[in-house]
Amino acid sequence: MTRKKVKLAFIMNDSARKATFKKRKKGLMKKVNELSTLCGIDACAIIYSPYEAQPEVWPNNLGVQRVLAQFMRMPEMEQSKKMVNQESYIKQRITKAKEHLKKQIKENREKEMIEVMYQCLSGKGSIANLILPDLNELGGLVDQTIKDICRRIESLKKASAGKGVHAPPVLSQSPRPQAVVVGGNGSNATNEMMTRNVVDGVNAMGGMQKTQWSFADWMNNPSEQNMGLGGQGYEMAPFVDQNPNVIWPNHFFP
Amino acid sequence: MAKKPSLGRQKIKIAKIQIKNHLQVTFSKRRSGLFKKASELCTLCGVEIAIVVFSPAGKVFSFGHPKVESVIDRFLARNPNLNSTSGLHLVEAHRIASIPDLNMQLTYMLNELEAEKKRSETLDEMRKAGQSQFWWEAPIENLNLHELEQLKDSMEGLKRSVSIQANRLFAENSNAMSFFGTNNSTNGVDHYDIKPVAPMITSTSSSAAASHVHSYGYGHGLF
Repeated sequence: MTRKKVKLAFIMNDSARKATFKKRKKGLMKKVNELSTLCGIDACAIIYSPYEAQPEVWPNNLGVQRVLAQFMRMPEMEQSKKMVNQESYIKQRITKAKEHLKKQIKENREKEMIEVMYQCLSGKGSIANLILPDLNELGGLVDQTIKDICRRIESLKKASAGKGVHAPPVLSQSPRPQAVVVGGNGSNATNEMMTRNVVDGVNAMGGMQKTQWSFADWMNNPSEQNMGLGGQGYEMAPFVDQNPNVIWPNHFFP
Repeated sequence: MAKKPSLGRQKIKIAKIQIKNHLQVTFSKRRSGLFKKASELCTLCGVEIAIVVFSPAGKVFSFGHPKVESVIDRFLARNPNLNSTSGLHLVEAHRIASIPDLNMQLTYMLNELEAEKKRSETLDEMRKAGQSQFWWEAPIENLNLHELEQLKDSMEGLKRSVSIQANRLFAENSNAMSFFGTNNSTNGVDHYDIKPVAPMITSTSSSAAASHVHSYGYGHGLF
């Protein structure tokens, strides 16, 4: 395969152009051959070059004439329906590329918005930086996420109700988040949440005020969070903080 | 929008494909690739070419430069000077003159597309990293009831903040607009030149990719 990407323009250098022509012409003929064989269809190719008086053809002169005759027997509308020249072909490619680009940009924007959402949630990012259209989009995404969460909660509740089993509380050391103080006065709220940062599973028991569990439960639910190891960052339940300067303390990863 | 992983590049036997569906798919893809190669050959080397291909269903596809018909005529008549009247020559010349520009447009589009694809990969990596780092970033299906309730609370708090901030911005904008005595959307349009969310996301993508943050279809010349 090529080592370098070739620029899509006429090759000015004569010898380079001739070399490219030889290689690509050979490759093209090979491809026509394969297409014809693999799919069991009729095809022909005619290539004129400045290097030779006679054109190079596939499969051979007789074969080309046969296919051309077949082609010209068809009604003109059928002939021109899928007929393209360089100009129309490149225009088609441009149109397709534009479509793909549009779709990809849209997809990327959605992905990016998800990142923004999570960053705002954990305080790494601030919604103060966003302009109105983005803010609205973020709001929509948060709404949708809340809906999805509710739906999932419902289905879990139904499942456990159906089974008649009460799901044991799993230790995820995150106390209920505090209400945001609008106006950048979040330092108080921050401090409260900071102190709840847990060091290990056992200590977390004291920090958690809502859930009760026994050590047995804790042992029976081994997870990264429980073991307090993580290996990667571990942080507590995030919440939006209007103060962009807040950095969540992380005892494991200073 | 994950794509189903394809079989990738596999060496196949050059013999007629037995499974009809595979045959049709192969025809479609290879015919498309063939025309692409032919177009590149014309662009790079400036040669005249004609390709005629019959589909398994009997439809005919053809590619030609400068025109399918003229190349066929040239071949059949074996007369190199068989081109039509000078009047048509002019039209043809015009058409052909636009090709380098079209190729530039195409190249531009393809480069943009590649940049966006790279950005997509970067974003995927960020998502993956986030998921393994923070429990609340894991897919909703992986969370238990307790975690879900907590996350829901957090999200609702975020929603409130967003609303407050949005209302604040909207009020500011309205004030600004009434100050300037104009009710049109020029102020709003200015915003679209600013990179909306770029400052918040650190990525290791190239500057080319990052610069595409702004081109969300707003005022993009070729759109």
